[in-house]
Amino acid sequence: MRPATFEYHRATSLEHALQLLGEFGEEARPIAGGQSLVPMMNFRLARPGHLVDINRLPLNAIEIVGSMLRIGALTRHGAYFDHPLIARHFPAFLDAVHYIGHPTIRRNGSIGGSISHADPTAELPAVAVLHDADIVVRSAAEERRIKASEFFVSAYVTALEPGEMVVAVEFPIPPAASAGSFVEMSERSGDFATASVGIVLEHEGGRIAKAAMVCSGAGLVPIRAPDVESHLLNRALNDPHAEEAGRIFAASIDPVDDHIASAAYRRSLIAELTRRAIETACSRALGRS
Amino acid sequence: MIEITLEVNGVTKTLSVEPRRLLADVLRQEFNLCGVHIGCAHGACGCCTVHQDGTPRLSCLTFAVQCDGASIRTVESLGGPTAEHSLQQAFRSEHGLQCGYCTPGFLMTLVPFVDEMVEIGRRPDDEEIREAMSGNICRCTGYHGIVAAVRKAIDDGLGEGSVA
Amino acid sequence: MKAGRPRHIGARVQRFEDIRLLSGSARYIDDVRLPDMLHLMFVRSDTAHARIRSVDTSALSDLEFPTWVFTGKDTAGLSMKAHQDYPEMQYSEQPLLAEDRVRFVGEPVAVVLAEDAYKAEDAAEHIFVDYEPLPVVGTMEQARDAAIPPLFDGWKSNVIVQRQMKGGDLEAAKAAAAHVVKRTYRTQRQAGVPMEGRGVVARYDHSDRVLTVWSSTQMPHLVRTYISEELGLPESRIRVVAPDVGGGFGVKGQVYADEVLIAWVAMKTGRPVKWIEDRREHLIASIHARDHEHTLEAYVSADGRLLGLKADITVDNGAYSTFPFTSAGEPGMVGKVLPGPYDFHAYEATFRAVATNKCAIGTYRGVARPSAVFSQERLMDDIATELGMDPFEFRLKNIIREFPYRNVLGFTYDAGSYAESLERMRKLLAEDVAQAAASHGSRTKRIGVGIACFIEQTAHGTPDFTRRRVPIETGYIAARVEMSPDGEVTIDLGLQNHGQGLETTMAQVAADALGVQPENVYVRHGDTLTTPYSVGTWGSRGGPLGGGAVHIAASRIADKLRAIAAHLLQARPDEIELADGLASVRDNPGRHIKISRLARIALRNVDQLPEGMAPGLEAQFSLDGPRDGTYSNAVHAAVVEIDVPTGKMKLRRFVVIEDCGTILNPLVVDGQVRGGVVQGIGSAMFEHFIYDGECQPLTTSFADYLMPLAPEIPNIEVHHIETPTPLTPLGAKGLGEGGAIGPAAAIANAVSNALGVNVSATPLNGNAIWNLSRHLRDAS
Repeated sequence: MRPATFEYHRATSLEHALQLLGEFGEEARPIAGGQSLVPMMNFRLARPGHLVDINRLPLNAIEIVGSMLRIGALTRHGAYFDHPLIARHFPAFLDAVHYIGHPTIRRNGSIGGSISHADPTAELPAVAVLHDADIVVRSAAEERRIKASEFFVSAYVTALEPGEMVVAVEFPIPPAASAGSFVEMSERSGDFATASVGIVLEHEGGRIAKAAMVCSGAGLVPIRAPDVESHLLNRALNDPHAEEAGRIFAASIDPVDDHIASAAYRRSLIAELTRRAIETACSRALGRS
Repeated sequence: MIEITLEVNGVTKTLSVEPRRLLADVLRQEFNLCGVHIGCAHGACGCCTVHQDGTPRLSCLTFAVQCDGASIRTVESLGGPTAEHSLQQAFRSEHGLQCGYCTPGFLMTLVPFVDEMVEIGRRPDDEEIREAMSGNICRCTGYHGIVAAVRKAIDDGLGEGSVA
Repeated sequence: MKAGRPRHIGARVQRFEDIRLLSGSARYIDDVRLPDMLHLMFVRSDTAHARIRSVDTSALSDLEFPTWVFTGKDTAGLSMKAHQDYPEMQYSEQPLLAEDRVRFVGEPVAVVLAEDAYKAEDAAEHIFVDYEPLPVVGTMEQARDAAIPPLFDGWKSNVIVQRQMKGGDLEAAKAAAAHVVKRTYRTQRQAGVPMEGRGVVARYDHSDRVLTVWSSTQMPHLVRTYISEELGLPESRIRVVAPDVGGGFGVKGQVYADEVLIAWVAMKTGRPVKWIEDRREHLIASIHARDHEHTLEAYVSADGRLLGLKADITVDNGAYSTFPFTSAGEPGMVGKVLPGPYDFHAYEATFRAVATNKCAIGTYRGVARPSAVFSQERLMDDIATELGMDPFEFRLKNIIREFPYRNVLGFTYDAGSYAESLERMRKLLAEDVAQAAASHGSRTKRIGVGIACFIEQTAHGTPDFTRRRVPIETGYIAARVEMSPDGEVTIDLGLQNHGQGLETTMAQVAADALGVQPENVYVRHGDTLTTPYSVGTWGSRGGPLGGGAVHIAASRIADKLRAIAAHLLQARPDEIELADGLASVRDNPGRHIKISRLARIALRNVDQLPEGMAPGLEAQFSLDGPRDGTYSNAVHAAVVEIDVPTGKMKLRRFVVIEDCGTILNPLVVDGQVRGGVVQGIGSAMFEHFIYDGECQPLTTSFADYLMPLAPEIPNIEVHHIETPTPLTPLGAKGLGEGGAIGPAAAIANAVSNALGVNVSATPLNGNAIWNLSRHLRDAS
């Protein structure tokens, strides 16, 4: 379990990285924390001919840009725990980070890496889809902003073209009257999710004015729940009909059936996690948490 | 081959390495640091944890070329050949190890945690201690003695009558 | 004990080996590096069952570095043979490299060597094997289907062996029964997974004709014997070294084809050869464990007395038979141990191993007993439920109370604390039982309490292996103890230490016998050059047999020290006491001489020895186990909390009461128990080695093969009762495996208690618990 040969390039600037990625095209992969890529390389399931090391690039800012929270691709998962902007605006995001791997992985793994790897059960892709985040990708030629819902194409497959890399993820900042939560079930702490569900909601006058819900573990990419989102509209925060929402979500999906969990179990989990996520978010909205 | 300079446990060497060489292999073979153990080579057991510029990192998921100019610490740096570090001593008194294979990885993961708790003057509960070691697998001890060792090292660090 | 009151045995002595292990100074197999060494990589079958049409190595010549390659044609005739001499057993041999047929994914087909491990892995990708797939035998049912062709030419069916054990009159028991309770229980396939995988380094010195093999093994002497027999080399010229070993758990308690093969390759190439197993290889191709199905039928009287038990046992063995315990070992062990700690007089077990296209089953901590006790103790709860009895009451009504006890199969149990440990556990759990009962009205959160009561035959002696006709053949452990002229002591121990603390506990034993401090005793092990022939460390024999051998050998040296001291102090030898580094005359401690002075006299100033006494201070003793072994006993208890909607289960508490006779070192005993328990929790809740319908392995990394992590595990409470056995010199019974035996049963019983359902299989992961709690959700 050692990687095949590759050529190593240390990018000295973003432009340098993009030039290298452009030059080597499909043969090249950027490497940040390496927490997902290097295991695949050690198993020789991934064998890029060129690795472009982007770790020394200044891509780790968490900042407000206009109406968006922009998170640089190299931001490590551990950075969110104590970050005031995350705590203030993105409770579902903050919940989700607690489920990512283990301390050492959180210290080294990056958002760009997690998003680009596109593991169907990973937390940050689900959070990005939940928040309608823009994945900001660059090539030597251009910058593109791809909606998260369009970025994740299938398991481990993204809309990234050869020569492109993720440079940031931008999350629309929710209005003040909003809340969210993210819940996950896995066999052991830190494992990939058997299923997870996230919600963000906006509220007005004690009622839900807008809602977004996502689940992972049900399909090859994180799945939004338009039926549930409309079901929640105008529901009272103290009686959001969460159980019914769970039933609606569960009925709308066709989860995988594999050696980790049956489809029926996943469907049931998503129903229950939906209920819990909604109740937690509503309770937070009501200031009870 | 790429030329890199590493400072490992106070020893600086300039080496020519193949890009694909894992840091774990370079530490073991070029620096003769046999305390770096490879348990899974896919980032799922924590055995190979070392510090890169002060931060715990899995040396099986790191290419040595990425570490050019970095400062690396391995278990050998903690308490020398007689294992004098307070966490090493606590592992011994609380029976936090049996076969010893996972032990360097646990120590390198937990030393910064113990240091942080001592520095901020906090005694974490067992749940928090267990979470701090959740990326490391021990197959021998059932974790009980390791949790006790961390508790003891923090207690020793805080001394009597410190904050709870 | 002759040496008087123990001072060090029983003390919580911190382990000497820890300094080496904590400081990074230990040296494991991957730390063996030799000049000119070649690195070996296996090419393994990716097909579960196939004929090999060809192995094409021609592409190796495209590489820019030198390689060496060997295939099954080169090793033709060399194999692993692990048979029991029963007419019912069908023999299988695993070739060192498959020649014309592969029988599981991971079976070695070729090896390639290069001067660097990375390059060897590159080279392996240049070897192409053409397979002609054959239909797979994937399940126990398929293996027992006479219509499916056998895996080996000349076999009549895929049932490798089927035998029976019986005692008493089962028909009479059945006729007398008021209740018949019949259940089928299933325990899943697992892997032992020490944190250090296996690995082998070999070097052959052509001029001296000496072969040296370093292997991460629990049994260096047996590796030496097998290599000698298979490669035709004299044992005197083979040295096998087990360096520091990063966990074994039985996985390293086999002789493997690769150990023989790598020795052979070193001889062929004339270069030292190294192979370090990677994690995927370890998971798919070292050994697996468990994978049992038991159908039990119990006959019970109206007042709750167990009258008889009938058992039908099947083990999915995989393709090959492992050395030295064979494919008959696992099912035979279940048949032997199912009577357990209960008093009944009619029993019949039919047991079989079947062959499938999977990795072989071998020994893993507990060996068959975690599965046997799962079935036995689930059955006890199921009977109690059927009779409307409390699980403690039912067990206490049937528990063996008088010792020695001769069981229904004729095995004699030495004294234990079966009833006492049950009674004590009942007190410890009273509050949990009440909390559980209070939760049983809830449809969302349930608490359950479960126990497992069991015995473990440990330190088995030669007769036990002779009866089973198993190639291990014997079970003795030898120790050679030597005092040097400065009074320091060396033990050359036939055991191999891989976490058990033997470098400390054996020193404690010798220190008591010799009147020195444990710090004065240096324990060496794991090297056939320096240690006396022994079977190695497995089967919970280190404390009772290794400790016993050390005690007897050290006591012989102590006798000589007393004789010398008596001569010099003008007393009788039986008046001399050895303690604290001094030989003193009893009742007159002022008359004494330093033990180190006696040692110098015995070895250098021999003119001062009593007339006619030969110089020297060394003794060796080989201690065989008792005929039926010595029986440790324990009660395990689990308290679980279940989140019904998600199936998430949390262990609130895990409690052990154990009795392993004399405790040599409580630090070590507690550690062994706790470590075993957590492996057992893994068996109960997480670990499952899964094959798909084509016998392709699905759990080939630590992302899929889930071992317990710290957050899932509670602190493990351990309580002791000490009932020393008269059958071993120190009164110690074995305890290395016991921790792993009870958890699956205790946790399953707790789940059954929590949910009010029959629990018939492990692992009890989230999906399984969710399935078992369907009745609670459907009704809500």
